[in-house]
Amino acid sequence: MKYSLVLLALLSVASFAAPAQDTPTENEMEVTTIAAPSTSTINVSCPTKTCTKRNVLQKAKPMMMQNNVLKKDRFMLISVVGQGVAPMNTASPAQAYALAKRAAIADAYRLIAEKVKGVRVEGQDLIQNMMVKRSSVRTSVAAMVRDANVVETTFKEGLCEVEMEIKISHAQFPQ
Amino acid sequence: MRSRDGDKNISRSVSAVIFLLCSLALNASEHLISYRYLVKNAILYNESLDISKSMLACKGEARESIVFESPDDDNLKRIISTNNEEFIAFIHKIGLSVEHKEKTTNFTNSSTTILTLKTTCFKVDFNDTFVRISALK
Repeated sequence: MKYSLVLLALLSVASFAAPAQDTPTENEMEVTTIAAPSTSTINVSCPTKTCTKRNVLQKAKPMMMQNNVLKKDRFMLISVVGQGVAPMNTASPAQAYALAKRAAIADAYRLIAEKVKGVRVEGQDLIQNMMVKRSSVRTSVAAMVRDANVVETTFKEGLCEVEMEIKISHAQFPQ
Repeated sequence: MRSRDGDKNISRSVSAVIFLLCSLALNASEHLISYRYLVKNAILYNESLDISKSMLACKGEARESIVFESPDDDNLKRIISTNNEEFIAFIHKIGLSVEHKEKTTNFTNSSTTILTLKTTCFKVDFNDTFVRISALK
């Protein structure tokens, strides 16, 4: 009789303990993960302010960056449209077309380099007597581009547009 | 013991192969080619293509190559000027170094883009009816 009472008491204690363990899990469900654009991890707390314990705080990994990174054995197709203008003093329309096309190809190469490698930007504002005297922005890019293909060329009213594509593999992509 | 006829056959076949190789590749040489042009405010300036014979032997393996028809012509400059557009497209395919600078002052924009193929050695095989130009790496 004694042993059966003790056993009953133990069972009741175990049944009370089980929901007590589940309670923090409900609190954890309220934690939301926010996609962050930066690579660093961020701490996210409960929005309802119900969870005050430190261990409830979780580290959220940025999701946006994970989706955009080129994975191994995968290719990325980059497409750009470069523009070039024919100079005023050309000998013939054919020469104007050839020169404008070359300028458009250079512009397309520049756009590819900017997309793949990124752009260095420097800005400077000069303010005198509470007024902006001079505002200047300098951008620059330097890269080596190979195996780019011209897809389409259009020439209209002195403006040449060249559509260019480049296929980049994971190994070629600067990490 | 080897017969005299057998030796003759071997030497004939070897000489035939040598003759065939000589007739296929009449002349092979190495040339240094560089290419550069500048685009300022979307207008092309200073396009230059320099071709010269290499004074020293080049090292490296052939990578991309292009073939032009050249009946009995061993002047590379003439062949390239005849097929100018195709050769420039080939150079673009090999790869060009892009250097771009842009400046915007008081909302007025100006840009300069320089595309360069640094001096590269090309192996040129002159044949009877065609010429093969291969970039060395």
